[in-house]
Amino acid sequence: MNDLLTTSLYKFHQEQEAKMIEFAGWHMPFSYEGTIKEHNYVRNGSGFFDVSHMGRIYLENNEIENINKLICSDLIKLKNTKAMYSIFTNEEGNALDDVIFWKFETHIILICNAINRYKITTHLTKNEISFKDITFETSLIAIQGPQAIELLNTLLEIPDKFSTNINKTFTYARTGYTGEDGLEIMYENIHTDQVIKFLIDNNIKPCGLGSRDTLRLEASLPLYGFELTEKISPVEANLKWVINNNDNYLGKNIIDKHMKTGVHKYLKKFILESKRIPRTGTEVKSNNVSGVVTSGNYSPILEKSIGFVLLDSLPESNLLEFDIRGNLLEGQIINKRFLS
Amino acid sequence: MTDKKYLETHEWYSINDNNITVGISDFAQGELGDIVFVTLPNVGEEFNKGDSMIEIEATKTVAEAYAPMDCVITEINSDLDSQPEIINSDPCGTGWLVKADIKILDDTGMSYQEYESFIS
Repeated sequence: MNDLLTTSLYKFHQEQEAKMIEFAGWHMPFSYEGTIKEHNYVRNGSGFFDVSHMGRIYLENNEIENINKLICSDLIKLKNTKAMYSIFTNEEGNALDDVIFWKFETHIILICNAINRYKITTHLTKNEISFKDITFETSLIAIQGPQAIELLNTLLEIPDKFSTNINKTFTYARTGYTGEDGLEIMYENIHTDQVIKFLIDNNIKPCGLGSRDTLRLEASLPLYGFELTEKISPVEANLKWVINNNDNYLGKNIIDKHMKTGVHKYLKKFILESKRIPRTGTEVKSNNVSGVVTSGNYSPILEKSIGFVLLDSLPESNLLEFDIRGNLLEGQIINKRFLS
Repeated sequence: MTDKKYLETHEWYSINDNNITVGISDFAQGELGDIVFVTLPNVGEEFNKGDSMIEIEATKTVAEAYAPMDCVITEINSDLDSQPEIINSDPCGTGWLVKADIKILDDTGMSYQEYESFIS
């Protein structure tokens, strides 16, 4: 793992004896105390994730109109101090990346997936958009859980949900990827020791990418490379709520056609009463509709197998049949959230 | 009971007269992460050396445990049904998986020292 990138918290991860993995070219913590334990810290109290591997791109607000031609949501209408989830689309209306924009008076911070940082910066350059990649000079920490806001209140002025704030040291937003309340905080790397001290002093537990994945899955949130790819559109990924851009953005005609006709693939959530977990790639049938599992794992809260399946067309029933290593097992499509 | 011997596929076994106890190594449980489901065979099921006997589902991945020699299952660890996590906390003790009668003895597993150097 010699050539892997490391974050400003790398020394901390080593001191904590975290189990480390390679992720998108970075050497990142998978777990510290165990995925389920960390999952429950976030569901019941508070936990923090080093997500500094994610791309952070600084853009001046005069680029907003240009960016609006590349994403399926309306960045022009977004008010200053607000955060917005959106998707960069390609000419086929499929997802290049799913991202978060933090909008301020003069500038925007674009947060993209680590695996797509090069793709997105190349895409911006190709479209003659000026930007500054600040990934390596800054860190990004997500502090999440029902107790997170109360604990952070002593350090920061708390914005409304999906809103941003900025002070001398921190740029942050009340956003996350766990289904819990919390903040995502960006700062220059020199402040890492101060941030770690605050987190430890407040007993906010370090959590790894393992629990980040089980938490996002339980919260029904897509992961790029699985639920969203360059072959899957936001309509297919059940993200119609993200599509509100009237500009003629890349791939809009195909996305509009998907919306109008309903003829496309369908991403659905599933739950399974079984001791086997349908993993990514597991083949699925719903009557005569075929599909494939995009993500599947154990839900520590439901104590059942859950996940996403991408079906070739709209299924007529909620019954699914999974082929798990030769065993045919029944599951159900869930139309509501996994967690009520 | 003999000392535990280890396989390259990360199972351990120990021999007691004509019966073996099988589990997975501490290294294996650490690599798997939190174990959430275990599918055990039925008592009376027969396996040849190298057959997949058990499926272990963890938050990180799924793994199989293989028969260390030709054997017939005599007992399964039913505690794993409600507490699969004991494989994580005590893989070489209370987290054992199955016991089986030996059909053909094959005591060629690695000693702990050999296994340690195999995984390092």
